[in-house]
Amino acid sequence: MTGTTVGARAPRLTLRRRRQLAGALFALPAVALVAGLIAVPIGQAIYYSFTQWDGLTSTWIGPSTWTQAFHNPNLWTALENNAWLLLAVPFALGLPLLIAMLLHQRVIGWKIFRSIYFLPTAISWVVLGLVAERFFAFQGTLNSLLHFFGLTHVNTNMLGYESTALSALGITFVFTMIGTNTMLFLTGLATLDTSLEEAARIDGAGRWRIFRHITLPHLSRFIQLAFVMTVIALFSALFSLIFVMTGGGPGYATTTMEFLIYQTGFAQGDFGTAALYGLILFVLTAIVGIVQLRLIGSDE
Amino acid sequence: MSLDTPPVAPEVPADRRARARRVGRGALFLVMIGVAVVMLYPFWVMIVDSLKSENQFLSGHGFSWASWRTLTSTIPIAQEVVSSTIICAVSILLILLVGLPAGFAFAKLRFRASGVIFLAIVSAMMVPLQAILMPEFVNITRLGLTGGYTGAVLVYAALGTPFSVFLFATYFRGVPDELIEAGIVDGLGYVGALWRLVVPIAIPAIATVTVLQFIQIWDDLLVGLLFIQNTSERPITVGLAVLAAGRTTSIPALMAGSLVSALPAMIVYLIFQRYLVKGLTMGIDR
Amino acid sequence: MAEITFHGVTKVFAGNVTAVDNLDLHVADGEFMVLVGPSGCGKTTALRMLAGLEEISAGTLSIGGRVVNHVLPKDRDVAMVFQNYALYPHMTVAQNMGFALKIRGESKAEVERKVREAAAILRLGEYLDRRPRALSGGQRQRVAMGRAIVRSPQAFLMDEPLSNLDAQLRVEMRVEIARIQRLLGVATVYVTHDQIEAMTMGDRVAVMRGGQLQQVAPPQVLYDHPANEFVAGFMGSPPMNLVRARTSPSRGGVGLAVGDQRLDVPGAYGASHDLPREEGAEVVLGVRPEDIDVVGSDVSGPTLKTRVERREALGAEILVHLSVADAGAASSVAYDEDVAVSRPTMLVARMAPQARVEVGDVLMVRLNEERLHFFDGTRGVTLRRGGA
Ligand SMILES: Nc1ncnc2c1ncn2[C@@H]1O[C@H](COP(=O)(O)OP(=O)(O)O)[C@@H](O)[C@H]1O
Ligand SMILES: [Mg+2]
Repeated sequence: MTGTTVGARAPRLTLRRRRQLAGALFALPAVALVAGLIAVPIGQAIYYSFTQWDGLTSTWIGPSTWTQAFHNPNLWTALENNAWLLLAVPFALGLPLLIAMLLHQRVIGWKIFRSIYFLPTAISWVVLGLVAERFFAFQGTLNSLLHFFGLTHVNTNMLGYESTALSALGITFVFTMIGTNTMLFLTGLATLDTSLEEAARIDGAGRWRIFRHITLPHLSRFIQLAFVMTVIALFSALFSLIFVMTGGGPGYATTTMEFLIYQTGFAQGDFGTAALYGLILFVLTAIVGIVQLRLIGSDE
Repeated sequence: MSLDTPPVAPEVPADRRARARRVGRGALFLVMIGVAVVMLYPFWVMIVDSLKSENQFLSGHGFSWASWRTLTSTIPIAQEVVSSTIICAVSILLILLVGLPAGFAFAKLRFRASGVIFLAIVSAMMVPLQAILMPEFVNITRLGLTGGYTGAVLVYAALGTPFSVFLFATYFRGVPDELIEAGIVDGLGYVGALWRLVVPIAIPAIATVTVLQFIQIWDDLLVGLLFIQNTSERPITVGLAVLAAGRTTSIPALMAGSLVSALPAMIVYLIFQRYLVKGLTMGIDR
Repeated sequence: MAEITFHGVTKVFAGNVTAVDNLDLHVADGEFMVLVGPSGCGKTTALRMLAGLEEISAGTLSIGGRVVNHVLPKDRDVAMVFQNYALYPHMTVAQNMGFALKIRGESKAEVERKVREAAAILRLGEYLDRRPRALSGGQRQRVAMGRAIVRSPQAFLMDEPLSNLDAQLRVEMRVEIARIQRLLGVATVYVTHDQIEAMTMGDRVAVMRGGQLQQVAPPQVLYDHPANEFVAGFMGSPPMNLVRARTSPSRGGVGLAVGDQRLDVPGAYGASHDLPREEGAEVVLGVRPEDIDVVGSDVSGPTLKTRVERREALGAEILVHLSVADAGAASSVAYDEDVAVSRPTMLVARMAPQARVEVGDVLMVRLNEERLHFFDGTRGVTLRRGGA
């Protein structure tokens, strides 16, 4: 046993201080990693967006880089492409909602169906892009299907034309999102109190009414989350698909913001402009991200 | 099919209603099979196309193992799978090593400004790599980390850390304070409490992070493409994407390679499905 | 094993909540001390300061003569039993119990021996390889006890360890914990809000309210001689009847006006209390339910005319709720409230089940004059000649 004085004298660290110090030390590696590889680059991007930069040397130019960038038609094409792709979002949410409702009916074998529906979620979008390319190709599945349904003289090549390539990309995107969103909605449905539905049915409510007034409101948080995740994926996860399916073409037909950044930086070596584009993308996703934080935050 | 039934069900004979129900269920089943066909389509394409030689593929007739037999000479698949595995394993290990203490700290060891810092880290979840791609690339290159796996691993770890910190913190908030206090009264320090009490309890959360990150990293293209310089250290997704973009490699070989690359993630996914769902809906399903 | 001393111990939480206010308390070696009081009165905080889980704002706290204000929990050598047991879910019963010893670096054989010993005392032998999840509430409670016992600590600290058990098990474990504590002779501080646990388990009981210690005494002393109105009302079930009254001294004795009735307290006895002599001073009269008897109308002494409002048969006894026949001016005092609600004066009397009383009956009752309590009308302290 230590002497009586030891416990009486205040130590260098009080209990609370000890806890706080431990907390700070435990958090430090994560903070350092995120600060060094995410926060600092954001700052750098802001700086470099005002410079002429090739990755090695940078010369300060000033705000004119921004006015120049906004006069670049490629930026507007990319933004426009992203905007058009937003049209895919309702499908990327609606189809999974429908599929989740089907699974929720729990017909025989629904668990197997569930596993099958989610399976593509595990596959790389690189691979899905390769498959999609096969689907849309001149000798691909799409044309076979059209021929099968009697449209023998139709021969599409959606990825080959500026007018249709973006649609093909959008369709592929919808397919890739089905698994994740279905999973979200099914989880949402599982938390739905069935006694509510039963009570409504006893009250004489029809299926549509039950869906509209009970199921849908209950799912609203899940739908919001799915919406945000889908939009963010749309802005920042199409790279793999574009890389293998179109390379951004034909022309700039499938060049979205994220692909434009890659091209500007690595094909044209214009690092400064690419950093600037990155900031624009950052702002776009931040807007959606704030909505997402609201969703998560409202839980605490 | 009308979804709207009248408020008061008319007098329908019981057996007729039962039959209508059976027909409805049957129709439902057919629709579900239809959806299954669509969702299995990628696998069907990969399997069928990979079972052709290049000539068979072009002519559209016949099957053979030719592409599989020559796969290792067309694509350095074994080495790519090894690369992918190493990158995944080390990145996930790093994410866990960094995320677990941080999650514990934010949930249980509140320190000065910990709330704000937590919020900042969670916000980083929303930053897409493309937004900071140029500075990141230059930084990692300048540090000379694109030579081996280090650069890619660091970037993956940084991108995965915010979510894992968020998930662990949320999970640990559900652990009663008393459990940790019991450990402290029993003689543990905070490090001991973390590794001997908190981590063993967090196995489900660890599984969730591991599975999600495994699929994420295994399937990723961008980081591997830019942050690994040597072609001999390329992960499999990058290898496939580069060959595909080059448009010189035969489709059947690519499809065979794709199948090989898809297999590990699919197996992990099928085994750990429920952790995946848990991770996705973290924070909104209670 | 050691004695525990709180000397002026105070805890002020951020936001200026004084959870424990200048607490002086001495727990003798081997003593079973119960800390009791309503929820939020600072019991848990006092215990957590003792365990080292909460910092002490002022005062000194010593265990075995050593001041422990700044000693880390692990160096205090105390064992704590938590309300929710806080068993380590990933460890077996044996691992749970042996964990503290393992951390201290005791040999495997030694740990195993001590765990077996404790398990024998707690009759947990056959569950040693189970995990907490596979145990019933009572068994988990025992494991939590076991975790404390194996360490042979200087003191046991228990925070409402029985509150998560159902009523029957609670009675069983009450006996069990008291038995084990006596067997081991380790100083114990036991926190509860349940006055029955306090009465049945403690060598001495410390009653707290709003962070302040009200009275420390053996259970029976608390019951018979509460230091104030709060303690009087808190201990006992149903609680002591507390009735507002006014003094009306006469003929050398003490008279009390209860509502519009006059209650005679025979002179000799009244003198032994320090009741105010002036006319109309406000006092609170306390009488336990078992000290009220039905009598005929011709009996002298402290009698009141009442009406039966409610009758609760509990099997072994009945509780009769009586309203003091009255114009409605008087009010009773609720023990846990500072503001008395104005309502007809009610008394609860405990009677034998044979007592033939029905709702609506008008009864003359006599209060046991040997066991009347008087409290100051404003401060609530017991009025007793010779103070304290
Ligand atoms: N960590 C804390 N921060 C602020 N106030 C607290 C804290 N813990 C307890 N209190 C307050 O201190 C008082 C006493 O609490 P506690 O000791 O838990 O009471 P008991 O155990 O007797 O129910 C309460 O008013 C409570 O709200
Ligand atoms: Mg308490």
